[in-house]
Amino acid sequence: MNLKKPLTVETISLDLQGDSKEAILAEMVDLLVASGHIRDRDAVLKAVLEREKRMSTGMQNGIAIPHGKTDSVDCLVAALGIKRAGVDFGALDGQPSNIFVMTVSPDSRTGPHIQFLAEISRPLNDASVRAKLLAATSPDEVLHLLIG
Amino acid sequence: MSGSAELHPLVQFVFQLGVLIVLTRVGGYWLRRWLRLPGVLGELIVGMLIGPYALGRFAWPGLGHLFGLAADGAAVSPELHAVATFASVVLLFLSGLETDLSAFLRYSVVGTVVGIGGVVFSFYLGAGCAIWFGLASGWLDPTALFLGAIATATSVGISARILSERRKMASPEGVTILAAAVFDDVLGIIVLAIVVGMVRAGGDGRGIAWSDILLIAGKAFGFWIGATAIGLLLARRFSRVLKYFQSPEAIAALALGFALLLAGLSEMVGLAMIIGAYIMGLSLSRTDLVQVIQKEVEGLHNVLVPVFFATMGMMVDFGAVHAVLKVGIVYSLLAVASKVLGCGLPALFCGFNRHGAARVGVGMLPRGEVALIVAGIGLTSGAIGQDVFGIAILMTLVTTLLGPLLLAGSFENPASGLRKPEDAAKAESKEIVLSFPSPDMADFMRARIVRAFRQEEFYVYRLAPDTPTYHIRKDEMFFTLEGEGDTVVLRVAAQYEPLARLVVVEEMLALRSMLHMAQEGVNIESMEHDLVAGLFSDDGEDNP
Repeated sequence: MNLKKPLTVETISLDLQGDSKEAILAEMVDLLVASGHIRDRDAVLKAVLEREKRMSTGMQNGIAIPHGKTDSVDCLVAALGIKRAGVDFGALDGQPSNIFVMTVSPDSRTGPHIQFLAEISRPLNDASVRAKLLAATSPDEVLHLLIG
Repeated sequence: MSGSAELHPLVQFVFQLGVLIVLTRVGGYWLRRWLRLPGVLGELIVGMLIGPYALGRFAWPGLGHLFGLAADGAAVSPELHAVATFASVVLLFLSGLETDLSAFLRYSVVGTVVGIGGVVFSFYLGAGCAIWFGLASGWLDPTALFLGAIATATSVGISARILSERRKMASPEGVTILAAAVFDDVLGIIVLAIVVGMVRAGGDGRGIAWSDILLIAGKAFGFWIGATAIGLLLARRFSRVLKYFQSPEAIAALALGFALLLAGLSEMVGLAMIIGAYIMGLSLSRTDLVQVIQKEVEGLHNVLVPVFFATMGMMVDFGAVHAVLKVGIVYSLLAVASKVLGCGLPALFCGFNRHGAARVGVGMLPRGEVALIVAGIGLTSGAIGQDVFGIAILMTLVTTLLGPLLLAGSFENPASGLRKPEDAAKAESKEIVLSFPSPDMADFMRARIVRAFRQEEFYVYRLAPDTPTYHIRKDEMFFTLEGEGDTVVLRVAAQYEPLARLVVVEEMLALRSMLHMAQEGVNIESMEHDLVAGLFSDDGEDNP
């Protein structure tokens, strides 16, 4: 699938401000709004929060993949945020999360959702990629690291 | 009724059909159950045994010569022949419907190369065998053409079962065999179209010049491509029209009706009926009606197709086969060699080592329904004789017997089939095994996982109605979902394991939240109460 389309320089933030899980999620949803495909910001945030309530999407090595499904988006939208200091996301390994990849897609339409998450986060298995991401100075650099 | 009484043809036909259905089912069941051999062998053998050239010579008590030679000397009555022809149309319609066209168009280059290799080698060695043994005067002789065409089509269902049992469906060899079989099917049908066209154009087939071949091949290929392209273009519109009738039964019946019409049309333009039926199935294979039609037509298929195999068995004249037994054995061995080499060699050049190449080769070995249909067409059109027909049946029996045995044996050695170890690591099959408290819950989760992959726009299809094994595929990604009793097993190449885990975890979360709701379940309790309330309380007073 084309990973380039949903993730753009407009939906990448290298310096997330929030200090809590909720604040980070709200900030990421605001990034998604920049894609122009979101009709109801609050509904999107609610969908992502509800998914987090079932089980945290904080994985290992500082990676978190918050996501949700709602018909308040027209198509799959994605954002990437970095918080170098990290934030407690209730991750599997108990460590703070610092790289966030968020995806939201329409609930009533078929299409890649988990597949997008799996593919975009595949390079993050590599410690050197994670280090470079955290040291990135521009969204273009992030895009280049993940998508090439 | 006396023992030698002959019945009215229609009554005789009804008895024939009844006996065939019962005996093929029982024969197929025994072979599958006790000898673990494909049921199709049992069905063929039942036909051979009760046919006019074996036990059919004897009268059945009270029914006369139920399976004797027909009045015109044919091995089967016109009525039974009509049923077998209808069965072959149903078979190829379903076969087209099951074709994963996306895989055919987009899937591995390896599968395509392997498929072409197998078809080219098989046709060459099959037709060559006829020439080398003096059964045909040249490459354009109908006998050579038919023996070539009969040898081409792999019946992948038999290999798929072994791959599934050995848990090798998602292995590089398994994926390659399945993709190659799609190509093999399509190419085999085109070969048949051209062969039938050439034989019919040449009358007795001996008068045709090389210069005409291009024209005939062009016509056959043109009809195939034209009808398929039109079918695919109109499929969605056609499926919308079918949906207007809403009921699954009506949709399936209409689809089958149109398959028969296209079958008749392809016969009219000088091609075989099954080609039209296959094209209709293929056209509908990309619509969302596939499952509906498959489910409805499968019942018909399950009853008719064993009758088809038995009818083919009945047509084997042992006397005629005996005369050409040596050729038959050589032809069968060539049919084995042609797939092992024709599919194995290209696999060797596409990243497989000799273990992998051998597995791919033997996986493509079994011939089945298409070989028999082509042989049947050859026999009834007079293009081939009883001897050549017998050779074809012998080859089908040998390859159907050998294929599963060799394929299972080839996996005894656990060595990787890939040349590069890093490719092997990437393609190494991983298992995600989930154990649930009950088989019902496992069934429920399987259904949820299937639905989740469909929502991600994967193509999911169930391998057989009686086993919960699914193939899940999208581009180069391939998963198998299976499991017995209370377990669910998802097999996947290592590189796609994260995707599989993420999909499954989402469904587990959904299950947990459903269980949570059910535990809280005030509403559920009241719904349950409403359902049973008053069931046994009115003492019939509301009844008139």
